[in-house]
Amino acid sequence: MTLTESPSLLVAGIGEMVMSSSPDAHLVAYGLGSCIALAVWDPRIKVGGLAHFMLPNGPANNSSPVKFIDTGLDTFLQAMEAKGAVLTRSSFKAAGAAAMLTVGGGLAIGKRNAEMMESALAERGLTITATSLGGNAGRTVQLEVSDGRFLIKSLSSVTEL
Amino acid sequence: MTLTLSEAGQNAVAGTFGRAMKRAGEALGSMSGQVIEVQTPQLKRCTAAEVLTMAGGPESVVLAVYVGIFGSLQGHALLLFSPADAHRLAQILLAGLLGPGELPMEESTDVLAYDELELSALQEAGNVTISAFLNELGMHLHEPVQPTPPQVVIEMAGAVLDAVLLDLVSDADQVLAAKTTFSEGGRAIDGTLFVLPRADSLRVLLDALGAFGI
Repeated sequence: MTLTESPSLLVAGIGEMVMSSSPDAHLVAYGLGSCIALAVWDPRIKVGGLAHFMLPNGPANNSSPVKFIDTGLDTFLQAMEAKGAVLTRSSFKAAGAAAMLTVGGGLAIGKRNAEMMESALAERGLTITATSLGGNAGRTVQLEVSDGRFLIKSLSSVTEL
Repeated sequence: MTLTLSEAGQNAVAGTFGRAMKRAGEALGSMSGQVIEVQTPQLKRCTAAEVLTMAGGPESVVLAVYVGIFGSLQGHALLLFSPADAHRLAQILLAGLLGPGELPMEESTDVLAYDELELSALQEAGNVTISAFLNELGMHLHEPVQPTPPQVVIEMAGAVLDAVLLDLVSDADQVLAAKTTFSEGGRAIDGTLFVLPRADSLRVLLDALGAFGI
């Protein structure tokens, strides 16, 4: 199993989201450390979205719509609904939120991101289906729009959620 | 809080950071016994995504030595090498320390595998390099700058840098990034030094340079 490079690769850069209903589409977020990616996939109509969140909370941001979880999550979910996704039947998979740097003690943003993601989804009556969160390894993630598989690649392994 | 730098203020910071980065390159050269060329340092205001591009892209694998900066000036410093270049630098450093006949390691087929001696040598190289940068900066400041102990991370550049960037962009869309590349011509070792200061803590440096408000 390898991550796919193809013309239908859509990349969610830091603070960005991508969505597609094309069965050929692969949605990717590269090099997640403390950032957290949320993949949403509706199995009925096979539409998927991937958002690359940076921080737990902060004001709405036009240039990076999903920079903050608390203000960006609704932007992402509404965009998914606009593509036809029904959230109550969709899967929600999250990855990232690692602690890469331990010196200095002030960079524990990953843990706060993971907690905020869980609580923000719960507040909206939504439950995370599967996670690969925490630890001290970076991750590249890929959502397969055709079947909802969520691939997690680290330097040492590729796993599937 | 975001500090808005005038062009003259940014030039003053760029000049000081440039001199400090040259000192850092000299320190690395002195430690490794090699002639190190220091590329003209750049200082620019950029988005988080642009910093990741400057580091070779979020998925490029690097060996990074990270040092946090506290005290009168705050921020983050990282010395980045490709995994292969890091191995070459470690070999040079250890040959200098142990003598060529005493090198304990063999060429590994796994470029991401480092033994403890290599990691220790690279950590110290990062520490010496970044400390030289901070010492030069400290000559202009009246209060001390305190580095954290160095930490070595072998990871995707995006994963190493995002925690640093998240610390800086919580209330700003851009960061101030200083970057230079060190090159050791003979054995083709390139290292990249990034210094990402907290913009609001630059006030102390601008005051010291007499450049605040210009």
